Amino acid sequence: MYRYDEFDHAFVSARVEQFKDQVERRLAGELTEEQFRPLRLMNGVYLQLHAYMLRVAIPYGTLSARQMRKLAHIARTYDRGYGHFTTRQNLQYNWPALKDMPKVLDELAEVEMHALQTSGNCIRNVTADHFAGAAADEIADPRPYAEILRQWSSMHPEFSYLPRKFKIAVTGAERDRAAIQVHDIGLHLKKNEAGEIGFAVYVGGGQGRTPMVAKKIRDFLPVEDLLTYTTAIMRVYNLNGRRDNKYKARIKILVHETGTEELTRQVEIEWLALKNSDLKLPQTDVDAIDSYFRPPHLPQRPEGWSALASARKADHAFAAWVDQNVTPHKNPDYGVVTISLKPIGGIPGDATDAQMDLVADIAEQFSQDEIRVSHEQNLILPHVAIADLRIVYDLLLTDGLATANAGLITDIISCPGLDYCALATARSIPVAQRISERFADPARQADIGELKLKISGCINACGHHHVGHIGILGVEKKGEELYQISLGGSGDEICTIGDITGRGFSSEEIVDAIETIVDRYLEVRTDKEETFLAAYRRLGAAPFKDALYSEAANAA
Amino acid sequence: MTDISEKPESQLWAREGFREDPYITAETLEEAGDAPAVILPLAVWLGLDETVRNATNRRIGVSVAPGESIDPLLPLLGSIPVIALQFPAFNDGRSYSKAEVLKDRHQFQGELRAVGDVLIDQVAYMLRTGFDTLKVTHAVTLTRLADHNLHDTPVYYQPGRGSHTKAGNYSWRRVPDTQ
Repeated sequence: MYRYDEFDHAFVSARVEQFKDQVERRLAGELTEEQFRPLRLMNGVYLQLHAYMLRVAIPYGTLSARQMRKLAHIARTYDRGYGHFTTRQNLQYNWPALKDMPKVLDELAEVEMHALQTSGNCIRNVTADHFAGAAADEIADPRPYAEILRQWSSMHPEFSYLPRKFKIAVTGAERDRAAIQVHDIGLHLKKNEAGEIGFAVYVGGGQGRTPMVAKKIRDFLPVEDLLTYTTAIMRVYNLNGRRDNKYKARIKILVHETGTEELTRQVEIEWLALKNSDLKLPQTDVDAIDSYFRPPHLPQRPEGWSALASARKADHAFAAWVDQNVTPHKNPDYGVVTISLKPIGGIPGDATDAQMDLVADIAEQFSQDEIRVSHEQNLILPHVAIADLRIVYDLLLTDGLATANAGLITDIISCPGLDYCALATARSIPVAQRISERFADPARQADIGELKLKISGCINACGHHHVGHIGILGVEKKGEELYQISLGGSGDEICTIGDITGRGFSSEEIVDAIETIVDRYLEVRTDKEETFLAAYRRLGAAPFKDALYSEAANAA
Repeated sequence: MTDISEKPESQLWAREGFREDPYITAETLEEAGDAPAVILPLAVWLGLDETVRNATNRRIGVSVAPGESIDPLLPLLGSIPVIALQFPAFNDGRSYSKAEVLKDRHQFQGELRAVGDVLIDQVAYMLRTGFDTLKVTHAVTLTRLADHNLHDTPVYYQPGRGSHTKAGNYSWRRVPDTQ
């Protein structure tokens, strides 16, 4: 993991001191809320429906046990005993008092964390594959590059007042778990024919009210050009991105309106002038950052396989959890464990202080002191020996963390919605809870197989509904909450935006509507191997629309 | 951000402190009368006769709005005494990129000035992207500048004006020249 040096510490503590001063001026009435607003936003403090919310940055979703314990401590001491892990791999506290914010930031700084650039029209927390450094299919670890980007983008003098927020995601595997094609810049680490590492560069993806899949503007960018090329993209965007309409200000609109070819040309011209500048990355620097992310020493544990076989045989629930929540690791004696934060009927992404402490303890003892936050709002233990799976499972079980539903229909992504968010137009958490309860039966979930269900409580799409295999968008219509369904979205390497089925459903109807879609899928799939997404891609929307609307009409 | 009953006079500030502003701002050359130093809008400046622009008895600078391109100025930079890049609102960041292009890429030698909604939280960014002077109206900002309290960080993660590399640090990192 990356560790702060003197330079990083000096930077973060200076920022905390500045914010303390600003909070004190606000509490003393020297600053109005309006004057305070841009200052607090720079420090990740939002004003929500009921209270201030603090969004803590977790760079590329990587945490140590010590950092997780600190997050638990803050939840216990300054909040109501829980935190909410987000689709941006961050953590949000929903109830901290403004007067405590400087103390919270001090506590975070102690463990090399902060809340900078978690809001505002700047380059936000850089995200990456949550299986980075562990996944069997990885070509290169994306985290060193995400870390370089994190540093370079911190309080950037030229790019802190962009037309709109800006999100960069990096993946190092062919299987895209970081959804890079729905980011402003997506970087896909790959090897060229000579075996050198570089990036395919995607620009202009995004969700929100105008969802778009990113366009590839470079097939192979050498590592040394990472910062110069990113600067070129940012500059073209900063100068030309629309500022007349906040809903048309993201780079996706610029790419769309300019045309990919012309935009690429502009970026390349800008880059020619920058490519040999001070930002050209020396290999020594890349190596130095890379050394923080060296694979941990994992002792051989071949005994795990026979132990696993007998443990599976003895306990069906354990076997189901292994099948669903453990992913192959680079090292065959190890696995990557997904800790589901989606208990049946629970709030997606929420974790209590005790759960965070438990995860920290387990990570320290059984996962090389490493934890990841996934954009699917789960936690990951990246390096667990197959031999330790049983004990890790038993420990997780003690506090409701062993739900065997990773990637299944109850592994729902949901934004906070109208229960917390000032922008929301409908509730999303209660809908997620009811769907989760409807499909609670593990055998039924397993039969349905992989199905990504994502819910947003407004058009801003924080719940990623556009790339849900089934997406739900809550809107407000004539004072009622109405839920639109979209089908066939996907945020992976074959990225697609879901198609809206038709008229929306009321809060009472929506769970039945989802069940109707799922039942129709079970009828039409060729066999159990054909996932919902595959069936949708083969058949299109017709059978599902038919089920939704003609059956509803028949019933009426 | 402004919450002041009495609007103070705008003042010109540079790293060294406040200074007299020899320039007046005018919409046309005629409006400027016989002022020895004037800043004109970009379109007006570009429309001037070359001999007028280069006249030695007065200095004629140019003001550029965020939506205007600086490209027509690039071949003429040697003859421009001051370019004033506008910040109609603090959160319109286009002029930062223009400052970088003018100072870093084209080595503009004249005065680069920030005008408009210049607030203390942006001052350090402006200096680092290449602005030489800031035309400041905001009362709190004036006070903080007078106190030399720039709201700056002790280290930077990017190259920029007024900073230098420090041995043993990554290539993108800088420390302020004042250290």
